[in-house]
Amino acid sequence: MSKVVLKVAPKPVQKRRVWTGARAVAEAVKLADVDVIAAYPIRPYTGIMNALASMIAGGDFYAEYIVCDSEHSQFEVVKHASAVGARTFVGSSGTGLVYGAEAVVVTALGQLPVVGIIGCRALDDPGNFGMEWNDAFLFRDVGWMVSWARDPQEALDMVVVAYRIAEDHGVLLPHFVALDGATITHVASPVVPPSKEHVGEFLPPYKPPYPIDPMSGPVSKAMHVSPSLIGPEQRKVLDVAMKRAKDEVIPGAWKRWGDVTGRRYPAFLEAKHMDDSDYVLVTMGAYSKDVEYIVDRLRKRNVKIGSIRMRYLRPFPTEDVQAALENARAIGVVDFSFSLGSPNHGSVLYNEIRAALYDTGARPSIMDFIFAGGREMTMADLDKAVGLLIKAADEGGINKPVRWLNLRGEDI
Amino acid sequence: MVSPELEALTWIAVHGRGVISTAQASQIALTLSQAGVCAGREAYYYMRYDDSPERVQMPLIYYAVLGGPRIEVILPEEVEPVGRIFDAIAVLDSSMLVSSTSQRALLLDGAKEDASLIVNTSLAPDAVLKLVKKYGCAQDWEGEIAAVRARKYHPNPSFGMIGAITRAMEHEITIDDVVDALEALEKAGDAVEAVRRAYEETEPLRVSVKAADCAPWKLKSKAIESYRRLPQPPLAPWDRETYMGLKARAAEAPTYEFRYASMPRWEVLAPGLIEFGNRPSERNAGFKTSMSRTFRPVIDRGLCTDCKLCHIFCPDGAIDFGAIKVEYDYCTGCGICAGVCGPKAISMVHELKALEGLDEEEVLTIREALIEYAY
Repeated sequence: MSKVVLKVAPKPVQKRRVWTGARAVAEAVKLADVDVIAAYPIRPYTGIMNALASMIAGGDFYAEYIVCDSEHSQFEVVKHASAVGARTFVGSSGTGLVYGAEAVVVTALGQLPVVGIIGCRALDDPGNFGMEWNDAFLFRDVGWMVSWARDPQEALDMVVVAYRIAEDHGVLLPHFVALDGATITHVASPVVPPSKEHVGEFLPPYKPPYPIDPMSGPVSKAMHVSPSLIGPEQRKVLDVAMKRAKDEVIPGAWKRWGDVTGRRYPAFLEAKHMDDSDYVLVTMGAYSKDVEYIVDRLRKRNVKIGSIRMRYLRPFPTEDVQAALENARAIGVVDFSFSLGSPNHGSVLYNEIRAALYDTGARPSIMDFIFAGGREMTMADLDKAVGLLIKAADEGGINKPVRWLNLRGEDI
Repeated sequence: MVSPELEALTWIAVHGRGVISTAQASQIALTLSQAGVCAGREAYYYMRYDDSPERVQMPLIYYAVLGGPRIEVILPEEVEPVGRIFDAIAVLDSSMLVSSTSQRALLLDGAKEDASLIVNTSLAPDAVLKLVKKYGCAQDWEGEIAAVRARKYHPNPSFGMIGAITRAMEHEITIDDVVDALEALEKAGDAVEAVRRAYEETEPLRVSVKAADCAPWKLKSKAIESYRRLPQPPLAPWDRETYMGLKARAAEAPTYEFRYASMPRWEVLAPGLIEFGNRPSERNAGFKTSMSRTFRPVIDRGLCTDCKLCHIFCPDGAIDFGAIKVEYDYCTGCGICAGVCGPKAISMVHELKALEGLDEEEVLTIREALIEYAY
C-alpha cells in the first residue's frame, strides 16, 4: 500500500495575538480572500464590520464592501453576489437578522454557499444586548448549516473551514457561524492566526458549478418552483446535501484543517471525561468553558461527571449524540434559549437532544437548565444545576425536568 | 381511474379568462354551489389554484362541486391526473373552443362520457360541435351542447349562463333551487328574470361523438405511439441539452403520464434550482401562451412599412425581427402591436374568424368585468 503523504507548508513562526472574536473573524475573512462583504451595523456584529472596513481601508486586502440600508438588503446582496460566483461574507444579530429572514431562507433554497456570522443576541424590541440563541435557532430548519464557536480562536478557524464545507460541490449550502454575543465577540483572548499559505492550501477559490456567465450558456438560478413540476424533488436535493455535509464533508474538512494547521478539533462533539460518566452536561458555545471547568472540579472530588460541547446544530450529529449519551444516567442541557409552549415547556437544544435519544434503548433522564433573557450564567448557577442533576439521578427520577436557574421569583 | 369518492360528486367546470371574465366565472360557480346547498346538498366552489386570474386573458377555471349530504375528501387542485370527472363544462369565451384551456388541456379533457357543454356564443350548437370535434375533444362523448347568447338576457353574462347551465343540468339542479340561491345571494329581480328566461329559451342539442372522428384524438394517438418509443430519461445529472430536450418533451406530451415521466427526478437536478435558459433566438418550449388569445394580430403586408415598432413593443417577443412575422405559439393576443402600428397595418381578428371564418358576436370585453364590479 502506498503511503499518503500530506503536503504541508513549512510551519512559519506563529505569533499569538490578543484578539476579540470580532477581530478574529475579520482576520478569517481576510485570509479566505472574500470577494463581497455586506455590512449593516448591529451589536455585536458591528465589531466585525468595523474591523473589516479598517482592513480594507488600510489596504490589507481587497473586497467589495457594500454598506446596505438594512439586514434584508444585506442578505440580498450576498445572495446575488454568491449566485454569480463571488465568495461572500455577511453577518447580523438578533432582531436585525430576523428582518433579513426572507433573503436568508431563499439563500439556502438557491444553494448559494454564503458564510454568515450570527452574533447571538436576545430578540427584544428595541434593545436587550444579552446573549440568547433564539436568533440563530430561527434558521435551524431552512437549509443553513449552523455551528457554534467556543472562543475567538475557534471562531477564526470555523469561518475558514465553513467556506470549504459550504462551497463543496456535494453540499453547496450556506453556513452560519454562531458566536455568543459579548462573551466571544467582545472579549479578547489569545489567537494564533493561520498563515496565508496554510489557508491558501486548504481553501481553493470558489468555483460555482453553474456560473451566471453568458459564455457558458444562459441559466437562471432560483427559478420559480411549481409544485407539479418541481417541488419535493428540490427539497430532497437540499436534504441530501445536508446529509453529505454531515457524513463526509464536515468531518473531512476538520480533519484536513487539523493536518494543515496542527490545531485539531473533533468534527461534531467535544467530549470531556465521557468514558465513564454517569452525569453529563451538554451545551454549546462560549459557556462550555465554564461547564468544562466545573466538570473538572467535580472530577477531582470523584464525581463521575462529564461534558459534551456541540459544535454543530445543523446538521445535527444524531449518531454521535446517541453514542455519547446513551449510557449516561442523567443529562443536563445548559441552554440559552427558550421555546415557549414546546414539549415540557423546555428550550430548543433540550428538545433536540431528547428527540435524538428517543431511539436509544436506554432513554436517559434529561433536565433542561434554561438561562433565558440574556442574563449571564454564573458559576453558582452551574453548581446548582449539577446539584439538581445528581439529586434527580440518585432519587431515580426527574419530577421537574425544566428549570430556570437564574430567575428571580418562583420557577413554576 | 377516478376514485369512487370523486366519481359520486357533481362537478361543473366554468372556463373564463383572467380579468375579462374572472368575476363571471366565479359568480356562476358560486351561484350553482349555493343552489346545491339550497337543495340540501353540500357544495364547494373554488378556483384552480395554479391559475392567474389577475393576468388579462389567461385561461382560468372555477369549479362548482355538489356532493351528497357531505363531501368527504379534499378536492384536487390539479384535476388532470384525476380522470374524467366533469358533468358540465361551461365556457364564457368561445375562442376557447379552438385553443387549449391551459398550457396542456383540451376543452373536453376531464369531461364525463355524458357531460354537457355550455358555451356563451352567437354560433349555433351544431357549429360548436364541429369546432369541438376539430379542436377540443379526444374521447367518446354522448352529451349535449347548449349555446347561449348570455348578454341577451342581462348585461352581466353570468345570469344567462346560469340559466343555460341549469337547463343542461336539469337532472341535477332545478331552476327553483337556482332561484333560491340567487335570493340567498341577494341578487335583484332582473337577475332572476334573466336566469329564468335563459333557462326556458335554451335548447340543448344531443350529440354523439366518437373519439376516432375527432382531430385531436388522431394527433394524440399518434403522439402516444411516438412517446412510447422514446427512451427513458437518463438517471445521471442532466446537462443543458438533456434538460432542454426533456422540457420540450414534457411540454408536448400527449398525456399526463408521459409528461410526468419526462420531468426530472431529484437525482438529476442541478444544485440551486438551476433552469437552463434559451440561447438567443431560441424560444421557450415549456411556455407557449397561445391559449390566452381571443384575438390575434394579422398583418396587412400592403400597409406594413417594416418599421419594426411591433417587434420592439411586443412584450412577449412573439414578433420576429427579420421579416416581420408573428409567432402565434407565443402571442397572447394583447393587441399592443396593433396599437403602436403607425400605418394601421395590424388588425386584431377573432380566433374563430381567423381559423374558421366564423363571425362571433358574443365577445366579452373588459366592460363586462367592470359591470360585475359595479362600476
